[in-house]
Amino acid sequence: MGKHIVGRVSSVPPGGRAVVEAEGRSIGIFNVDGAFYALRNSCPHQAAPLCLGSIKGMTMPSKPGEYIWAREGEILRCPWHGWEFDIMTGRSIFNPHRTRVKAYDVTIEEHVDGAAVPDDEDESVETFHVSVEDGWIVLHV
Amino acid sequence: MATVARDQTSGVSVRSGIVDCDVHPAPVNVDEIRSYLPMPWRDRYSGGGRGFFGNPVHGARLDSTPPGGGPTGSDPDFLRTQLIDEFGTAYAILLPRAFCNLHPDPDFGTAIAAAFNDWLADTWLSRYNPDGVFKGSITVNIQDPAAAAREIERWAGHPHFVQVMTDSGARAPLGQRQYYPIYEACERHGLRFAVHPGTDGMGINVQPSPGYPTHYIEWHTCLSLAFQAHLVSILTEGVFERFPGLGITLTEGGVSWLPALMWRLDAEWKALRSEVPWLTKAPSAYLRDHVRLSSQPLEDPDNAKHLLQVFEMMDAEHILMFASDYPHWDFDSPTHAFPKLPEQLHRRIFSETAREWYGLPTAE
Repeated sequence: MGKHIVGRVSSVPPGGRAVVEAEGRSIGIFNVDGAFYALRNSCPHQAAPLCLGSIKGMTMPSKPGEYIWAREGEILRCPWHGWEFDIMTGRSIFNPHRTRVKAYDVTIEEHVDGAAVPDDEDESVETFHVSVEDGWIVLHV
Repeated sequence: MATVARDQTSGVSVRSGIVDCDVHPAPVNVDEIRSYLPMPWRDRYSGGGRGFFGNPVHGARLDSTPPGGGPTGSDPDFLRTQLIDEFGTAYAILLPRAFCNLHPDPDFGTAIAAAFNDWLADTWLSRYNPDGVFKGSITVNIQDPAAAAREIERWAGHPHFVQVMTDSGARAPLGQRQYYPIYEACERHGLRFAVHPGTDGMGINVQPSPGYPTHYIEWHTCLSLAFQAHLVSILTEGVFERFPGLGITLTEGGVSWLPALMWRLDAEWKALRSEVPWLTKAPSAYLRDHVRLSSQPLEDPDNAKHLLQVFEMMDAEHILMFASDYPHWDFDSPTHAFPKLPEQLHRRIFSETAREWYGLPTAE
């Protein structure tokens, strides 16, 4: 268990993502309308780099012949076989109870005591005031 | 990584590692193929695939686009990194996608096939192939079997073409006599004949289902229907009695349907043998000598034991060969697509059977 600084909030704008290495795992961080989520970058199907997939909406449950497109920006599709996952929970759309990818907590923090700071950031930075609007994205693994 | 050893007695280099029986290289653009087409075809050719039933999600692995740009499967260095080196592939059997047999004009289809062969021979089978990892398929336009046979003759003896290939899309089942010039040429030159999905119901070809399905999911699931019809035709028409040296590779046509279809066909044969008296044994008994299936897209039952049972029913140890279908969307990973296999069966499926089938060097 550890806290890992991914970067500034401004470095992952809404609709964007970052893929990072933390504790030997590849993990994708997603900004969905200002809220941050993290998923393991390995599809439970055949271990594809899931977090490199497309970010879309989805066709919602509907009557035959009816199309309801919703949840734009909340659904991650595997780049290989196209399986759909809910970015917010890591649960698959076709079988949310049994087929899921590991989700991690993400917080936005002004101070980053005890977290590993990326090499390209000044390590003294935690002594500066940081606004929440451009705070640190912290991944909890 | 595949390793290379030199056989002490024969001097032939042997690459250890798996054999991938369905890999799709692509030209960098339409003009690359055009450059191999004579006029008037050069002006007329505009590339293009099947035209409809496009995958609504994505047609190729999203991570397979070369970093330097260009179509998926067009950069040999990136393909080597992502496929050959990643999985320790000793040999990759290349099947380009020319979609040449949907055209009403047989001369146009034949010209496209020839251009793809010239392109493949110049690039993936020579310039990109210093170590011999790539083995090719000769594209033919089956709508003109005599011309297809001449195209096979043109490439006979090439060190890296190991089979002839067609799309499964056709105007008639592949066991019928109009195709025999193709099989005769394959047999004469020791080339396998591969069938790969494509162009079913497109252009002049018939659709192997009752009419056109609505959705890609239906069309793609039912690709195996054409393979079943072609295989029953090839077996019952006595193609393997007529061409005892012929071998058919059923590529990407599905796997698990085989035992049930053979039970059904063998049962029919017991009653109806007199209709096809040239068969000297039960239809299923021809498979081990004459037919191989490539594995991708491998069915994936919830209970993996069921798939292993199917493998036993279908004699997978002798007739199933691994394929990834790289870079297409339904790529099967060599390390994740199969349930855990007994070591011997794994060796057969991932290496030995294909090496025997295509005459590739085999490590002792």
